[in-house]
Amino acid sequence: MLQDNHATEIAQILERYPQASKRAAVMPLLFLAQREVGFISRDAINEIAGLLDLDPTDVGSLIGYYTLFYDKPGGKYRIQICTDLPCALRGAEKFSHEVCEMLNIQVGETTEDGFFTLEEVMCLAACDRAPLFQVQGKGGIQYHENMTLESTTAFIESIREQDANE
Amino acid sequence: MLAALLKGLWTTLRSMFEPPVTYQYPEVKRPVRDRYKGRHYLQRYDNGLEKCIGCSLCAVACPADAIFVESSENTDENRYSPGERYASTYEINMLRCIFCGYCEDACPTEAIVLGHNYELSFTNRRDAIYTKDMLINPVSIAGQPTPMKVEAGQFDRAIPEMEDPK
Amino acid sequence: MSSSQVKLMIDGNTLEAPRGMLLVDAALRAGIDVPVFCYHPKMEPVGMCRMCLVEIGRPSRDRQSGEFLLDENDQPIINFGPNLETACTTRIDEGWVVYINSERALEGQKQIVEFLLTSHPLDCPVCDKGGECPLQDLTMLHGPGISRFSFHDKMNSLKRVALGELIILDRERCIQCARCIRFQEEIVDDPVIEFSNRGRSLEIVTFSEPGFDSYFSGNTTDICPVGALTTSDFRFGSRPWELNAAASICPHCPVGCNIILNTRREVKMGGSEIVKRVLPRQNEMINEIWICDKGRFAYSYAMDSERLSQPMIRVGGELEETSWDNALKVAAEGLKQSGANLLGLAGGRASNEDLYNFKQLIQGLDGVSMLNDFMAGGKQNQQIGLGPGSNLGDLGVGDAIVVIASDLLEEAPIWWLRVKQAAERGAKLIVANARFTKLEKYSAHTVRYSFGDAPETVLGMLHYVTGDSSLNKYAKVDGQEESARIIKEATNAVLFMGSEGSDSESSKRLVQACGSLLAATEHIGKANNGLIPVWLKNNTQGAWDMGLTPPEKHLAEEFRDRTALYLMACDPFGDNPEMLQELPQDAFVIVQELFHTPSVDRADVVFPAQSFIERDGTLTSGERVVQLFYPAVSPHGESLPDWKILARIGALLGVAMESTSAAGVMNRIAEDIEDYGEIHYRELMNREDQWPPVGGKQIYFGGTAYENSQGIGIRLSSRAQRGEAYEPVWKESPKKPKGEGIRIVPIVKLYDQGTTVLPSLLLAQRIGQPELVIGQEDADRLLLQNGAQVEVQWNGTAHQFPVAIDNDIPEGIVLLPRNRQLGLEMPMACNLTPVKPTSKEKGE
Repeated sequence: MLQDNHATEIAQILERYPQASKRAAVMPLLFLAQREVGFISRDAINEIAGLLDLDPTDVGSLIGYYTLFYDKPGGKYRIQICTDLPCALRGAEKFSHEVCEMLNIQVGETTEDGFFTLEEVMCLAACDRAPLFQVQGKGGIQYHENMTLESTTAFIESIREQDANE
Repeated sequence: MLAALLKGLWTTLRSMFEPPVTYQYPEVKRPVRDRYKGRHYLQRYDNGLEKCIGCSLCAVACPADAIFVESSENTDENRYSPGERYASTYEINMLRCIFCGYCEDACPTEAIVLGHNYELSFTNRRDAIYTKDMLINPVSIAGQPTPMKVEAGQFDRAIPEMEDPK
Repeated sequence: MSSSQVKLMIDGNTLEAPRGMLLVDAALRAGIDVPVFCYHPKMEPVGMCRMCLVEIGRPSRDRQSGEFLLDENDQPIINFGPNLETACTTRIDEGWVVYINSERALEGQKQIVEFLLTSHPLDCPVCDKGGECPLQDLTMLHGPGISRFSFHDKMNSLKRVALGELIILDRERCIQCARCIRFQEEIVDDPVIEFSNRGRSLEIVTFSEPGFDSYFSGNTTDICPVGALTTSDFRFGSRPWELNAAASICPHCPVGCNIILNTRREVKMGGSEIVKRVLPRQNEMINEIWICDKGRFAYSYAMDSERLSQPMIRVGGELEETSWDNALKVAAEGLKQSGANLLGLAGGRASNEDLYNFKQLIQGLDGVSMLNDFMAGGKQNQQIGLGPGSNLGDLGVGDAIVVIASDLLEEAPIWWLRVKQAAERGAKLIVANARFTKLEKYSAHTVRYSFGDAPETVLGMLHYVTGDSSLNKYAKVDGQEESARIIKEATNAVLFMGSEGSDSESSKRLVQACGSLLAATEHIGKANNGLIPVWLKNNTQGAWDMGLTPPEKHLAEEFRDRTALYLMACDPFGDNPEMLQELPQDAFVIVQELFHTPSVDRADVVFPAQSFIERDGTLTSGERVVQLFYPAVSPHGESLPDWKILARIGALLGVAMESTSAAGVMNRIAEDIEDYGEIHYRELMNREDQWPPVGGKQIYFGGTAYENSQGIGIRLSSRAQRGEAYEPVWKESPKKPKGEGIRIVPIVKLYDQGTTVLPSLLLAQRIGQPELVIGQEDADRLLLQNGAQVEVQWNGTAHQFPVAIDNDIPEGIVLLPRNRQLGLEMPMACNLTPVKPTSKEKGE
């Protein structure tokens, strides 16, 4: 339950909006829920709906609308490769296939060790430095530009090592 | 008068040496044309699934109101046809049927075909109603009988991609 | 020409319409069809599907004067925009020239259809909507025939997504018009379905528990312009063109929704007719084009195999099937021998014809006839009911609606819907109840009184209206003064009176108080003003009109010393098994029933009655609209309509009654009962044009609800409307016994465990187990948690229920849904004891 762990933060979020339009708090509360476990569970949807006097369907439909909300658990790190047209022209599609092969997963899947989820996303606003991906996970969002399979492998190894040390 | 009599007898005599035009039915059967419209058969695919999807378009096309169809929903445990719907009841009243072939024309899956069998006889009216068991083709060697148990999601499209029997 | 009317030209026809009307409506009123998918005349336009593209030309105006600029022929200069516009979102203005069927407009429409079909499956032969599908129809009319899009680029989505157990979604077929989502949000305010994702992957989702949790969900399938939403009872059951349509009236609540029973012959049923589905039939004065899910899905009881099919008589202690002649003879003999002290008890679900003949028979045998109910108000409804010209849909700004002691959503969902909509149009809604009900959300004012204080609350309001100081003592609840002011100032006021928390005595006081309040505020004797009792049964008002009233004393006392009992369409021994002890052992009992109820077990003679789908008859709704229902299927077994059974017994006993037809009985009623003087079957078949057009040719406009061609019924006039004076009376409340302990109050749940709902396999999952609703204080005192079992004792019987804690319930009150076998018709004192888990359960 969100309320158990984040009661003060929830109260702070709710305070920001007038009582009459408290449904506006739905986005920050969804972020909070996602930050907790990396995705938004059915229970979290129901809880947020209860907090804001909304129908769970109202809350749940938002998760589908915004691509950065997840309704299923993923890996610890989400590698998001841009495959829009300019990036594709600079070889992002091929790059994506290679990374998939290297990690032994399909787009949208998570590696066996639960570390990485690979996703293809729309424009990341760095077309000139493709192929590129952003990594979402511990430490917020990082961009990795002008990537090759070698540099990606090195990055992935470094993350795994780092995690093993912790 | 005598001349006329002789003429007639001559005709009789001559025709005795001509080949017969009649057939010794039922020992010998007169061949029918390819497009002859006899009794109906319900077709199957190679794998044994029924082509009929229970859409009742034959029944509505029938000018003699001879066809009656009731449909039900397929499940993967009890699958009769590809797609979602199959005919759970299929009856043709052969006394009403005028063998016009409109049902064949109306059928979207080419499930009902008028064959070459014209030997339809009944001793009472009830027997004139051909049920689905009587109308449906036997399963080919390659196929399985219906209902069959199939893997989930294997036949979920309305338009099947399946082989016809050769 | 008034300034609110504008003149415009559509496809060369000049027409006049109100300024600001949507172009699509204006065109249709003039008989010109505009193709639409997302637009629905009952909802706000959104312009999502773009199907209604038309060419619109607007006259040029002089910038200074605002006058039309004229060309050399003195004709206004018309400017056509560069693009086509949507007719469903455009409001008309003076001088427009519109082309709906021009080449350019048709080309636009054609391309939209082509676009909509890019990912629509070729499902028509298997689709339940095929044959009554707007997309199919408009594709035939406007479609291009050949698509420029590749077949292999079609999206393949899930074909069978159960949104709940009632409604099934086919994601491939959805054209994303949002009609269903808007219906749930705008019309019924249950936003339990929504769009998720974006663009081509937009899809409908539900997160409610259970899925698609709404009492009105079935209506979305009617207005869905494709086969994306289908009901699970009709799924792949039949093609629409194979169905026969019989007009009927929903038998589940006093609203009297107009419905259609779609039937066809089935091999599975041995070749006899079967009801395949229930659809709404348009009646803008009653149910518009909507029905609730109970009306739509709880019809299977009428075709249940458990129905009684043969008359039965008791031979040596056992019921044995016999012939009609024999059963009638035995019944007549029995009544002759032991009919000296005869009681007739009828239920409020029988038709007017049945109830009239019932009254005639019992009267002819010098017996006493009664209605198996306790709620009062039938007489007042005759005096100060709504009357002709009324329509809840007309209420709006300046009007007031009062709902007292009723949970309308559970008791009469379509009334709830229409009251809610009136409130949204601006009518001031006052909800007075002892607990929170969903209607409060739309109320201008809520009055919360303690359970059982409904009459006092109304008397308190009366105090503020009249200033009568003797009523001073009742003015003690918040909101009474404000409510009184609203009612007094309202142009029109309608008062819905329920029975929640009332017993037979307080119900009488409540209706008197309500009548006095309406009379004091002069809201009687006019259309759209007056009382509507929220009955528990569909034809309770009809029973009152036929002269049957609830027992004066408790039913148990009425049963004592009776030598014979005649039951029709009611089950007093099933409702309360304790009643068996009250009736003398040797009393002769005749029962007319549909099912083998506990009352049938006590009967000496049993007659199988016909249900509403097998016969014709009339019902009188709570608004006092008399409506006709028609036979849809052939009778079950040897069953007969109730009025006919009564007439045949009457014939054997020398009581002359109409026995030829239901219409004949109605003619007798018309002769005999003043209010029904004008009512004959011929008049009940009246029809009139209604807006919006639905069904048939206009299926894409209004949905698959049926057009009403079989009769919209007749609204009975109230006595006050006929000029008869109404004498307001009210009684002082008796001193309340200072009772210790807890009172148990029966409430109504839409999906109850009644005989007419239980056989519906579909709804079975929504009925659930009855829960005892208890307040926080009582729960704390008894150390009860949610879901804990508790034993409740009342009237000497004990029952066990799980508890549900509700903060809103005051101390000393528990609520229990009305049910059979409980013997809980009215509130009564009870004892609660928590059930200790057995040691075995504890160990686990």
